[in-house]
Parts: sequence; structure tokens; C-alpha cells
Amino acid sequence: MFKPRVLTPLRALERAFTPAIRSTPTQSQSLLRTLSATSTFPKTTPTPSLSRALLPFTQVRHASHASQGTANQHSRDPAGKRLGAKRSGGEYVVTGCIIFRQRGSLWFPGENCGMGRDHTIYATQSGYVRYYLDPLKHPKRRYIGVVFDKDEKLPHPRNAPSRRKLNMAPVPMAERVEAQSDLVASVDENGVRVTDVPAVEAESGLQMRPGYMYREANWEIGRAAEKAGITAMPHDRGNRWLAWRKRQQRAERAAQLKSLKGKKKTAKK
Amino acid sequence: MAHCERASKPLLQCLRNTYSRGVAGVQLQTRAFQSTASVREPEAETPSQPFHKAPDPSLVTSPRLERRLLRQGTTPIGSRRRRAALQDSENLPFEQLPYQCFQEARKILLADREEKLKEIEVMRQRLARQEALTDQESGGAKAKKSRVTAMQLHLERLKVLADINDPAVKRKFEDNEGDMSKPIYRFLADRKWREYRRKILVQRITQMNVVPDVLPHCDPVVDTKLYFGKRQVQAGEFVDAKLSTSAPKLDVQMFEGGEKLVTIAVVDPDVPNVENNNFDYKTHFLAVNVPISATSTKVDLAQLLEDSQVVLPWLPPVAQKGSPYHRLSLFIMEQKDSQPLDFAAFKAKENNRDTTLLRSLQSRYHLKAIGAHLFRTQWDDTTLEVMKEIGFDNANVELRRKRVEPLPYKRRNPSSFR
Repeated sequence: MFKPRVLTPLRALERAFTPAIRSTPTQSQSLLRTLSATSTFPKTTPTPSLSRALLPFTQVRHASHASQGTANQHSRDPAGKRLGAKRSGGEYVVTGCIIFRQRGSLWFPGENCGMGRDHTIYATQSGYVRYYLDPLKHPKRRYIGVVFDKDEKLPHPRNAPSRRKLNMAPVPMAERVEAQSDLVASVDENGVRVTDVPAVEAESGLQMRPGYMYREANWEIGRAAEKAGITAMPHDRGNRWLAWRKRQQRAERAAQLKSLKGKKKTAKK
Repeated sequence: MAHCERASKPLLQCLRNTYSRGVAGVQLQTRAFQSTASVREPEAETPSQPFHKAPDPSLVTSPRLERRLLRQGTTPIGSRRRRAALQDSENLPFEQLPYQCFQEARKILLADREEKLKEIEVMRQRLARQEALTDQESGGAKAKKSRVTAMQLHLERLKVLADINDPAVKRKFEDNEGDMSKPIYRFLADRKWREYRRKILVQRITQMNVVPDVLPHCDPVVDTKLYFGKRQVQAGEFVDAKLSTSAPKLDVQMFEGGEKLVTIAVVDPDVPNVENNNFDYKTHFLAVNVPISATSTKVDLAQLLEDSQVVLPWLPPVAQKGSPYHRLSLFIMEQKDSQPLDFAAFKAKENNRDTTLLRSLQSRYHLKAIGAHLFRTQWDDTTLEVMKEIGFDNANVELRRKRVEPLPYKRRNPSSFR
């Protein structure tokens, strides 16, 4: 099984080299025949002596080289994730502006900056970006901060009061609306239109509501018990008697359900 | 184990009784330096009424009785486990406990105490001699001063070391019966405070940026507790506007001997200033020349004297609707050399709540922050009522965030995209 397969490439080799061998007068005989004659092995197994003679032509692949093909190596390279600085030092940013995208915390959020859940540094105030070190805060960390003035420097002195901005405007306080408004639907040639019922008319009775229904508003249904004057007993942690009764009822119910379950099974059988 | 205990109990009891009877005359020693462990006489008379009618705070174990005691205003002593153990113990003083090893150890401790007392005597005499010397004799006023201070420190340390190993002292301190006029109890209280409460306080005032915002630096050395009515407020807690309408009470525990005169200030660094788009300071309370000591700790800000202490009376803190929370920081500042400040001059100068800065007060009057506390206020249901009560200007105005205009869209490096 093994021998013919080994011999075939050798025969091919011989065919390729015969012209060259023929040209040399010293080796007039066929290569195969000479080799087989010199060898001590029987004619049928000429391989070991052959390999010795053809050493310069055989290919040897050592383990130090890659054993698998590298044909698709480049297609496995992922796309760039566009990380890095989005705003450079001194640039003006507004609140929420992304300053730096990174994997892991290469940079830490300093003054007026925050860190997102993928470690993105963003501005929490409008101002000018600063990249800085703060050895008193942490000896190794690099920080990104935002300052309000163009020529302000970071870090601030340790004992200086923090500089903050209010960024708020006074607005007259909105009056609290006591009554609730509700949605109603009206049907005409244009189709169904859902509109808001003014708070005043909300309690005037049944109205056409979404889903082609004349009914009360949802919140009115929710208040039904209140209207009827039904009150639930306020929960008292100390009332262990009631708690025991409820627990008993629950256990009874569970037992009942369990027994029903068992009966069904037996019925099936 | 239980069997063996049961079996040995009568024997032990018998032993105890004989022991106490035998040693009763010996154990009444006089203590030269201070009297710490007073021998408890076993109460002979039987209680006339049952225990559940008049529970003993040192023996009560059932939660119901404990709660009743707490409602009456007495705290149960020690842990429940200890009280349970005390219920069926003979409650013997340490001197009479029938444990040989314990008694041998006590002897060593007592010998050590005697040694320390002798050292204290020697140190006192040396200190007196040093103080009697003139400056030239001791080599300059500075050298003398440093020597005397070092000796005083050593003396204080010896006083603590004399009592620190006394089991009776430890027990008394744990039962909150320690006498704060004695150095050992002050030392123990200080250690306990520094273990937990001080750490929390320092963390709160630094994390909430009170320390660089109001004062540049603060190293608390006195324990400060703040009460609104009966409720104690933890450092940094939110307090309802209604609750803080009246001035709080303070419990300022000093851990050094002697009396100090302090300035107490409550400052809010978060007053919104819409015109300048930043925050202002407001002094809600300012009082000078308040005496505190290790034994008199209670300071009621409402009860301070109008004509010699209170510069700016209590102003109830309120936070406008929508504004960020207000930090109300309380600082206890030691006056220089505990000398009283000139009240009239102080009041004439620092009469404006809005312009008085604690930083400038500190440098102007040489104050030193020795204690701090903090609580916060924000808009709540009771704020509007309090605002109307104190005549707040912008009661019906709320603060809303200003819209942030986005940056104009700018194509970055357009030529490369073509």
C-alpha cells in the first residue's frame, strides 16, 4: 500500500531529471537502476537510498513555521472603533459633549467632566477642555477637565473653593392642577380623532372613548371604591392575629389546589 | 457540659460566698489617684413589685420591656447578652471573682498602676521645678516652653496609662458612666470617636466639598452632634424645612481638659445667584464666646445670650424649588488662646448675612476650626410654608435649567471625505 504511493513522485522526479542526467556521460544509466543496484535492500524498496541522493530537492517544513495557512488573516482584522480624542485641549465644548472615547479608563474625568458606562469622557459644563495631571489627587492618573475661562489652568489649588455655575433661570411657579383631564375619541367623516377632554367636563358622564366605548375615564374607574366609601383596613405590622389568619387562609387554599391537582392526575390514569 | 455545669453550680456558689466573706475586709483599698471601681454592695432587700412593672435597665432582656424603658427615657445598659448573663450572676465586683488566674493578672495590673502613680508624682515635681526656673536658667524662653510642653504631654500620657488596664474603668466607660473630667475617660471616648464617627464626618465634609468651599482646611478634634428638637441629624442628612425652622441644639464633646471659648457659625455656600450665574454664601447663624468643656457639652443655639454671644440669630434654611440642594455646614472655631472676642465690635462689623465669609472671619479673628457638622436642605412640601413665614422674596419662583445650545455642526477635515 505504502510503497507504490511513495514511488510515484520519485518516478516523476526521474522523468524530469533524465534529460540532464543523460547529458552527463558518467551517469549513462538510469538513476533508479543505479541506486537500486548499490542498495542492499531488495528492489521493491528503494526509498531510503533515493531520499539520500535527492536531498537538495525534497521540501522540509519544520515546526518553527506556521502550520496553518494565512490566507484569510486580513479579513479577520476588525474595523477601527474610532477611539481617541474628539476634542483637543482648549477647544470649546458644551454640556454633554463627548471629549474622549476609550477602552478602559486611560483618562479619568476631572473637573466638570463625567465618565460614561463605556468610559467615554464627556463634559458636564460648557467651557474649554483641559488635559492635565493632578498628583495631589492621584499620582498616576491623567485627567480631562473643563474650565469656564479660556486661560484658566487645571488643577486648581487644593484649598480653593470650587468654581461652579448655576445655569438656571427663574420661572414663575406653575400652579398645581387639581382636576384630571382625560382622553376621548370622536368619530366623523375624517375617521377617529382622539382628543383631550378638559378637566371640567371630565366628570360630566359617559363619553366616547378610544375603542368605540362609552364609558367612564380610567381614573374614575380607579376611584370607584373611594366613591362608594369602601376603605381597606390599614396594615398594622403588630396585628399578628390577622397575619396568622391570612397565612392560614393562604395555606388552606394552597392545600386545596394541591389536592385538586392530584385528583386530576389520578383521573387521567 | 450542661450536666457538669449544673453539678458544679452549688459548689461554685458556695465557693463564691466564702470567698467574698473572706476577702471583704481586704478589698476595700484606698485609691490615691482617683476612685474608679466602687464595690457594689449586693442588694439585700427584695423588690416589692414584680420585674415587669419596674424593669432594671442593667438586667432587662425582653425587647418589650427594653422598648418601654426607652420610651421612659432610660437606655438599657450594655448589650442584651450581657444583661442576660447578669440576671443569674452573683454580680460580684472584680475583686471578689473566684478565678485565680484573673486575680493573679489583676495583681500585676495593680502593681503596674502603683508604678505609674509614682511616675506621675515624679513627673509633677519635675514639671513644677522646670516651671519655677527663669528663662536664662533653662536656656531661653523657647527651649523652656518646649520642655514644659513635652513634660505636660508626658504627664497626660502617664495619667492615661495608669488607668487604661483597669477592668472597672473599661466597664464604666462601656456603660456610659465615665466621668469626662478624668483623662482616662476622655482618652477612651476620643479613641472610640475616631474609630468610626469621625471618619464618617471627615468623609462627608470632604466628599460634599464643604471643606474647600467654606473653609480651606478643617481637622475635627471635637465630637459634634446636631439635634433638631429631639431628632439627631447625621452628618449630611436632608432635613425638612419645617423641622429646621427653630435653631438646632448641639452636643459638643471636647476630649481635652479645660474650657474653651468658641465661635459657632452655620454657613450655606449654595445660595443661587441668577444675575451672576453662580452661587453665593449666606451665614445662617453666628455666635461668639461660647464656652465648651469636656463636661458641659450641651449648646442650644436658641438659648445663647442675645447681648453677648449671638451675632446673627438663626435664619431657617430654605431651598428654592428646582435649585440644587443646599449644604448647611456648621463649624466650631476655637478662638485664639480661648480669649473672648469683643462682642460689640464684632457685631458692628459682621452684621450682614450675605457678605460675611467664614474664610475672612477665620483670618481676621485668628480662629481655628476644631469641629464641623453638616446637613442639607432641598425643596419639599413644607418649604413654601416656611418661606412665607420668614418672608422669603422669591417664594413663588422656581428655578429651571437653561437650555444648552448645541455646537454648530462642523464637518471635520472635509477634503479627506471627497
